[in-house]
Amino acid sequence: MNYAIVPHWFFGYNVLLEMLFFAITLLVGAYALKIYQISGQRQSKLFGISFLMISASYFIQSVLNFASSYSMADGCNTQTMSLAYTLNIAGIYAQMLLFTVGLVTLAYMTLRIKNLKAYFLFAAIAIGTLLASSAKLYFFYIISSILLIYISFFYLRNYLQSRKANALIVFIGFLFLLFAKIHFIFSINHGAFYVAGHLLEFVAYVLILINLISVIRRK
Amino acid sequence: MSKKRGRLQIIYDILSVIKEKNGKIKPTNVLYKSNLSNQMFQEYMNELIQKGFVLEKDTKNSKTYSLTQKGFDYLNKYQMIIDFTNSFGLGE
Repeated sequence: MNYAIVPHWFFGYNVLLEMLFFAITLLVGAYALKIYQISGQRQSKLFGISFLMISASYFIQSVLNFASSYSMADGCNTQTMSLAYTLNIAGIYAQMLLFTVGLVTLAYMTLRIKNLKAYFLFAAIAIGTLLASSAKLYFFYIISSILLIYISFFYLRNYLQSRKANALIVFIGFLFLLFAKIHFIFSINHGAFYVAGHLLEFVAYVLILINLISVIRRK
Repeated sequence: MSKKRGRLQIIYDILSVIKEKNGKIKPTNVLYKSNLSNQMFQEYMNELIQKGFVLEKDTKNSKTYSLTQKGFDYLNKYQMIIDFTNSFGLGE
């Protein structure tokens, strides 16, 4: 397992940002499921589920980063270090799998097909590639980037069809999320990319939140 | 050529027609104004009655439709639903 290099000064800020991403994606996911309850529309359900998975992924990531920065500050013995390492590995796997399946669900939603076999096939290919690779974190960012390229194209087409400001905001949001994941690929060697990735993600989720707020306020 | 209506739009159109003449509208009027085939109309009406959006009342000569609170809620929240689904690319 390889790790991203986190600049020392950024510890704490990353936890705060990840908690913010958790809250925003949870809000969007819950709202999409509320829309599904009112309208019975399948796409809203899939969108809601995908955002809740991404939300759970950020929650795990922020808790892990909080725990690691806390244990570093506190100092610990060999036994607690071993336990912390095991928990950390389990958490990283859970976080990567939840985020990947969340993006696969989102990509599946954009296909407008009703075929569970196809969904499980996509999920199996993504998860299988991730688990079989020797550099798991590296492949996690690459797979996320590939899925986000496809999703960004979908939202570009969605904007070009409607030509509405809200659709443009969402497209730019997903584009920033893609840029963030590309930066995270390089964060394995350079700490600056880790910070840049978080800042790009921050812009992405703020844009998605702006869209959600504008939709809610218009009612 | 006009764009094909989505499921949410069709439900909105049916509920809007009923709202215009709440409690007094007959099935033939709803069918005519909602611009659907008879089969499609029956499928949508059955679903709307089943899910509690519309109330069906049997009178001596025929039956009439009225909106329930859930039906009014759907109409009130329709714009928000459409804005949400369109901006996040969830339209059908």
